[in-house]
Formats: sequence, structure tokens, C-alpha cells
Amino acid sequence: MNVSRRGWLKLAAGGTAGLALAELGLGPSEARAATKGLKLEGAKEFTTACNFCSCGCGMVAHVKDGQLVNLEGDPDHVINFGALCSKGAAMKATHDSPQRVRAPRYRAPGSDRWVEISWDEAYEKLAAKLKAVREATWTATEKDQDKDGKEVEYPVNRTDAIGLLGGAQHTNEECYVFNKMGRLFGTSFVEHQARL
Amino acid sequence: MTNGWADLQNAKVFLIEGSNAAENHVMSMRWIRKAQQKGAKIIHVDPRFNRTSSIADIYARIRPGADIAFLSAVINHVLSNRLYDEEYVKLHTNALFVANEAFGFDEGVFSGYDHEKHKYDQSSWGVQVDAAKKPVKAKSLDDPRCVFAKLKAHFARYTPEVAEQVSGVPARQVVEIAETFAKNRPGTILYALGMTQHTVGIQNIRCYGILQMLLGNIGVAGGGVNALRGEPNVQGACDMSVLNGYMFGYLNYPSHNEPTLKDWTRNNGTFRQKMTVNGLKAWFGENATPENDFGFGLLPKKSAKKDYSVYGMIDAAYAGTLKLLWVNGQNPMVTNPNLGYVHEALSKLDMLVVQELWDTETASFWQRPGSDPKAIQTEVLLLPGAYFMEKEGTISGSGRMVQWRYQAVKPPGQAKTDLEILDAVFRRVRKLYEGSTDPKDAPILKGTWGYAPGSLAEDVLKEISGRVLRDVTLPDGKVLKAGDYVGGIGQLQADGSTSSGVWIYAGIFGGGKNLSKRRDSADKSGIGFYKDFAWSWPGNMKILYNRASCDASGKPWPNAIPIVAWDETEKKWKGKDTPDVPDPLKGPDTPEGQRAFRMNAEGVGRLIAGPFKSYKAPADELPVDVSYVPKDGPIPEHYEPVESPVPNVLHPAQQNNPALKYPRVKAKQPIGTAKDFPYVLMTSSVSEHWCAGSTTRNVPWLNELVPEPMCELPEALAAKLTVKTGDRVKVSSARGAVTVKAVVTKRMQVMRIAGQDVPVVWMPYNWGFKGLSTGPSTNDLTIDAVDPGASTQETKACLVNVVRAEETVARR
Repeated sequence: MNVSRRGWLKLAAGGTAGLALAELGLGPSEARAATKGLKLEGAKEFTTACNFCSCGCGMVAHVKDGQLVNLEGDPDHVINFGALCSKGAAMKATHDSPQRVRAPRYRAPGSDRWVEISWDEAYEKLAAKLKAVREATWTATEKDQDKDGKEVEYPVNRTDAIGLLGGAQHTNEECYVFNKMGRLFGTSFVEHQARL
Repeated sequence: MTNGWADLQNAKVFLIEGSNAAENHVMSMRWIRKAQQKGAKIIHVDPRFNRTSSIADIYARIRPGADIAFLSAVINHVLSNRLYDEEYVKLHTNALFVANEAFGFDEGVFSGYDHEKHKYDQSSWGVQVDAAKKPVKAKSLDDPRCVFAKLKAHFARYTPEVAEQVSGVPARQVVEIAETFAKNRPGTILYALGMTQHTVGIQNIRCYGILQMLLGNIGVAGGGVNALRGEPNVQGACDMSVLNGYMFGYLNYPSHNEPTLKDWTRNNGTFRQKMTVNGLKAWFGENATPENDFGFGLLPKKSAKKDYSVYGMIDAAYAGTLKLLWVNGQNPMVTNPNLGYVHEALSKLDMLVVQELWDTETASFWQRPGSDPKAIQTEVLLLPGAYFMEKEGTISGSGRMVQWRYQAVKPPGQAKTDLEILDAVFRRVRKLYEGSTDPKDAPILKGTWGYAPGSLAEDVLKEISGRVLRDVTLPDGKVLKAGDYVGGIGQLQADGSTSSGVWIYAGIFGGGKNLSKRRDSADKSGIGFYKDFAWSWPGNMKILYNRASCDASGKPWPNAIPIVAWDETEKKWKGKDTPDVPDPLKGPDTPEGQRAFRMNAEGVGRLIAGPFKSYKAPADELPVDVSYVPKDGPIPEHYEPVESPVPNVLHPAQQNNPALKYPRVKAKQPIGTAKDFPYVLMTSSVSEHWCAGSTTRNVPWLNELVPEPMCELPEALAAKLTVKTGDRVKVSSARGAVTVKAVVTKRMQVMRIAGQDVPVVWMPYNWGFKGLSTGPSTNDLTIDAVDPGASTQETKACLVNVVRAEETVARR
């Protein structure tokens, strides 16, 4: 029988799966796929892509009542055509893991513990600190010699006291905004894990 | 990657060196195996026999850090046995260019070296130019003045025997690999961090570029130099210039001595100036005008004298000058080398902000075993971000394919999408500066920032792709209307009438459609291009430099799979792929129609890479293009890792990379010697755990598969140490020590290098003290010496000692 896996899922989820199974004379693996189809009945599908290595394997997320009920290789994706590695196949566990951080946390100087804080407090602390550091460390000009050996004072308008690090785990749009924000704040310490 | 994942099926031979693709880029094997079933040969070169080795036709064991010696011998074999593609080399490389007379190489250094400053004056590495500022060309490759002759002379020292002596790859195998790779074309090269994490990382990859250009393997289907990158969007993060030295997509970030756009253009050329203007228009909108240099003055200028890489950051934190570090989805307290030093540096920050899914070793660095939280005054904020299925946006994989991900579910608890967090913080800070007239605050107040809350990601993608700001009439008469989205790089204007935040992505939102969402998986090309699935940069191109797949007349080379060609009837370049030419309407009879390597100022591939600027007219003040030159040499040369058990047999007086600067902070960067640390350590990931392990070590069944870190030891070394598999061993370096279980295995071997025995051991680096699976961090041991150009750390080769841990002895 030559039905694509995706087509098969739709067929199997059609309500007459039991009858179809018998009629089509399916083997055990196809029967298992049929059972899975029933489990996903009514689930909404969202296409996404894995977040481990740089292959970019496609995935399909199945969502029922706002809950992630399944995450698997996307059979119609041009890189992996449904397959996933051991890490990618384990990905569903990351969404609802109890280990996830669920609220902003703060650790005070010298403290040995985290305290949960509100987003408003977190934003407030960060924005105030960004401003304070800029005010305290601003470099308006840099003195140097030009190519003829003459002393010049170049306008540089920067701070070397703020660092932004990260991005390879994020979307292009997040990276773009992270970089743009860093440069607008005046820092050149904008980097990510390109070397890892 | 110059090519893409599915194109791997078109190769006839694979050289995989510095990558364990079968375990770390698993899906590459789907395509490699397809080629293998059609008869393609796989060559794997690696210090460790792993799952990639097990499916290879030829496996060669190499000493970590000796790749240049091995590859130079392969290049030498190709050159001296005339296995190169002569027509391709003459047409598409600088082989015939006449080299600068002052160019030379002596005692391990190239001409222009300053022994005190550890720096090169690169001027002698260039080529001779005529009155029109064009390169002088020799008539034949036999002309001793030409680049090709210099190349031959340089690599002639690398005989198979020298390669064996330095790298441990047997001489007969060096020849076998050279023959196999050269005689099966097209051939492709795959590499990963095994090649880049060295103090000679850039020159390692230069070997690949030179070899592939000699064989005519660049720009063709089934060929290329393909970096298998380590992270889901490391390609995209680089494209978006989350790198200290770049802006708007690989355009050099301005330094203090480039205060105006003209100063910058003098060093970068007018082609890139146009792209910068488009970037500035995206960032500053109406506030970027021709009168104010398009807002160039609003960009902060970095100091040309400072190191702004992640290692510069750590050094600045340690020195107390970096006050606030905002870490976004990265875990340097596991993944950076020399972790003891990183910890001290973080402890000196005023504030550390960590935006994360998990409570990581970096967020909780103050809880590190052995440290006293009371003594650490750093304030820490941990902001819960969203994982990929909880948000929308694009990522770019190794093959440059930019694909959209839909949000399936909401982030857990109060966690927010990272874009929401960044947007909120910027708006808060801007509010704090409202009304300020201080010039230092102008960039914050004048930058464009109006992304709609409901469609943040797509709004940002539109800015990245670019807009038409005023009506534009193109040379072919087509009119772009203000308010349209630009269709591609070719539509970008130099006068501020268009914008594009990242020029290489121009057109991804062409016609107002988000092309990254496309889902047609039919293979209309028959060779795996899938041109209607998502979108690849630039211009949906699948194979970079594909003009090089054609001869001078624009016809595909006889044995190449046709992918593009000059159509004489339609008078344009066309084909299965987007032609990689400066202008699709300029044919082979124009200079533009011969520029297969159009991003080089020379327009051809550079076998020797020296300084060169191209000009429209010889009298012009500003160049059109300026070629990049590696800091540490115009061609590769073997230098030993900073920590090496053997002398550099080619030139004992020049042991390491001459442009290397290490230690940077003497007290914190000790260098171990073979007397105390006699074994070579290489590190990498395992299939089941990834990078810092922040995510994978929080997945129970991955922890069941690989529960803890280990040290793999060769049998001969284990026998000497009386260690058995499962025993605990203490591994130490000049920087730290860890205790892990030993795995005694044939995968690792004692190698014979320069007449002495060199045991090589291996450890995965994916553990730390947080998460569901905890264990010692291998990066306590590794060295933070970096490549002079790329700032990539030498995590693939350092010296260690291994002894049985006392607890093992006590238990017996």
C-alpha cells in the first residue's frame, strides 16, 4: 500500500479506521500508526524545527486544548523527511519539564539563594542598571594618532562596560533585536556562541 | 555551508575531518548514505574512531592539532602529480597572478613579521598590479613569479613522510586519501569544531578552500566546503551580526579611527557601503539622511586596540571594567575553556543577567562547588525565556535555509518569549532617557523601534528583509513603489531610498510574502534543491559561487551537473539555481560575467590571500571592494598547539602560530608542559548530550542513555596506569583537575609522533553542577588560547595528566 505517512494519519483519523485496517490488510507497524492517529485525533498541527544542532530538522507539534500532546519528525520536511536523532526525539520533555524556570528570579549580592520577583521588578532592576552603567562608564572620545602621526581625538560614543552574550539558541529576529539593542546602548561587546 | 544538506547526495567522495557527523549532525547521514549507496567514497580523518569512522571507506587517525601538516601533504600531492583542474584553476582562481616580489617565507614566518609585536605587515602578500590597478597575470602556471608557483614551492616541504611524522597519519594513507579525493569528483568536505577549535583554526579551513579550488570543487553540485555548525541558529546569529566585529550581515563594524562613512568605505569599498546605508536606514529610519552620513555617527565606534570577543569580555570582567553582562541562552560556565578563570571573572561583575529556560551553571555560578556565595557581590537576574515550540520566528541552519517556526503552545508559568523580553527592556530604557539631549543618548532615542506587540517576529523579519522608502526606478525600467518590500539584494539602493537590516536576507519578505513559510517539498530540480521550501540566503541560492560550475563561455564544465549557465538566446544567466553573478544580465563577455568569486575584490578565488582593492576607475579615491586577509598568514603553515608534547619539526624556532597572543592574563593562563602533563586531551560532545547540556541533562531518558562524563583512554595507556573501565581517574591540566570514570577503548590510541609515543585521551564536555544529571566540567582543564583571527579557543588540544583516583585505590 502506497500512502504517505501523513496521508495515512489523516485516513486513520477518519473515524472508520478499524474497518479501513481490516480492508486494507495492514501489518502491525501500520496498525500502530493507526492507533497513534486516533490518539492525535482533533489535535492541531504546528510545524517547527529542532533546536539542537544546525541540521534544522523539521518537526510537527500536536496540540490539544492548549497542551503539547506530541512532537515528532515532520515527514514532509526536506532535510529529515520525518526522521529525528536521539536528542531530537526527546524534545517533547523540554516543554513541560518541572526543571523549567517559570518566574523571574533575583539573587542579591552575597546571598546564597534565589528569590522570585515579578517581571516588573526584574525589568526595573535591569533598565536602571543599564542606565547607571552607561552614565558611569561613557567614553565620548578616543585619542590616537592618525596615519601621519598627528594626535587626533576621535568621537567614539561608547561604553565598554556592558556585554551581551548569546543568540545561537534564538531566532533570527531575536538575534537581530539583541544586536541592535546592544549597539544602540553603545556597546561593542556583542557576541554569541559562534565558537562552540 | 557553501552547499546544503540535500546536496550531499550529489558527491562522489567525502572528506570528513574535524567532524563526527554520524553522532553530532545525525541527519547529514541521511544524504551521505544516499551518495554512498551510489558508490561514493567516505574518508574520515579524526583522532578518535567513532561512528562516522565506522561507516567510512578510509579511516585515518590523526593527532589533534596536526591537520595542516596532513592537509598540506594532500595539497602537495595534488600539485606535484598534476591532479588539479587546470582550466578551473586558471579561470576561477588567482593562480596566474604575479605575486609581490617581496613575498617570502623563512624559518616558519612569512615576510612582514614583527617579532616583537607578534604581528604581520601584510603588504608583501599581495599581487603586482598594472597602471589600471588590475592584477598582472602570467601566461602559464609554470611562470615562477605567479601565485601558483609560490603555492607549489610552499607546500613542497610537506611530503607524505613529513605529514606522517607530524600528524601520525601513515605516509601511504596520506597518498591513498589524496588520490581518492582528487580522482573522484565532485568531492565535498565536511568539518565542524574539530577543525576550528585550534589556534590555527582559520588556516585549517584555508587548507580546505585551497584544496577544493585546486580540484574545481567549489561552486559545483556535490562539492563545496561545508561547515556543520554546532547550534540550531549559530548560522543565523552570525548572519544577524551578533558578533563583535560585524554589522548588518558580515559588514565590518567601524573602529574609532573610522569616524565617518567615507573613512569606513576607504577600508571596505563602495559595494559594502551601499549595504551599510541600507542597514542604517533600517536602524535609524527618517533620522538617517545623506546630510548626517545616514546616521553613521550614531553607531558607537569600537576601539581598534581592544578585544571585544567573548574572551575579551571575560578578560574585561576579570579586570573589573565590564560591569554588566547579559547572557542570553548561553552557558559559559560549562562551555568556555579554563572555567576557574571564567568563574573569577563573573564574580567581579556588578550584575549578571541570564535569560534562560533552566537554572544553569552560569545563572547559579555563585553556587559553584567550592565557592562561597557570601564572597560574591554580583547581583544576578534570571529571566525565564521560551523554548522553540513556544514562540514563532525563523532559524537558519548550516545550509543557509531560513525556515519559519510556528508557535504551538504558550511558555510555561510566567515565562515569556525572548523577543517580548528584549522589546520590553529596550522600551523601558528608552523611557528612562525620554527628553534627553545628551548626544550619548541619541542612538537610543533615534533608533527605529516600533514592532507591533501581536506580530513581533514577523515585524522584525520585515525590517531585516527591507523596504522601499521612496519610489525607485530600476535600470530595466521597473518601478518600486514606496511602501513595497524589496525583492532582493539587486534592488537595494545607495542613496537611502531603500532599507534592509541584513542585506544578505533582502527579499525574504519580497512581495509582502513571508517566504520562510513556504512548504513545497517536491524536488523539481532532481538534485535536491527544494527551491520552493522555505528560503535560502542570498536570493534563495542553494550553491554559493555557482558561476564557477561553468567555463569561460558560461557553459557548465563537461563533467559537472548543470546548475546555472549563460543563455545566449535570452541573454541572461539562468538555471536550476539562482545564478551567483553580480548581474544576471551581464554575460561572459563582460568582466562581471567572469566574477565567480564576486565577494573577493579580485573576483576569483584566492590560493594565496593578500591585500587587494578593486577600483571602478584607477583614479578613484574609494575602492569598490576590499579583500579580507587572515592575520596570521596568506597560506597555511603547520604550527603546534600552545600545549604540545612535541617540537615543531618543520621549524623548531617557531613552535606556535606567530600571531598568537597568549597568555593574555599571565596569572590566570598557565601553560602546561609534557613533563608534567604528558597526554593530549581532545574534547567533544556525545550524540545524547548537547553543548553545555543545559537542556539535555534535564531530559531523564537522555540521562539514562549517557548518565555521566567519562575519559576514554587507549588500552596501552590504561595498562600502564593499571586502570580498568569503570575505575575512577583524576585528569589534570595546568588549569584544573576533575575526577571521572575511565573507559578503556580501542577508539583512542597511543600515537607515534616525531619519534615518540603520544597517548591521546578524549572527554565529552557536556556536564556541570546543575540540572538532573550533574558531573565535573571538562572545561576546567581546557586552555583559553585563541585563534588570532577568529578568537576560537583551542579546546581540541591541550595537555593533561591522568592517574588513578585515590578513591579507586582505596576501594580495592
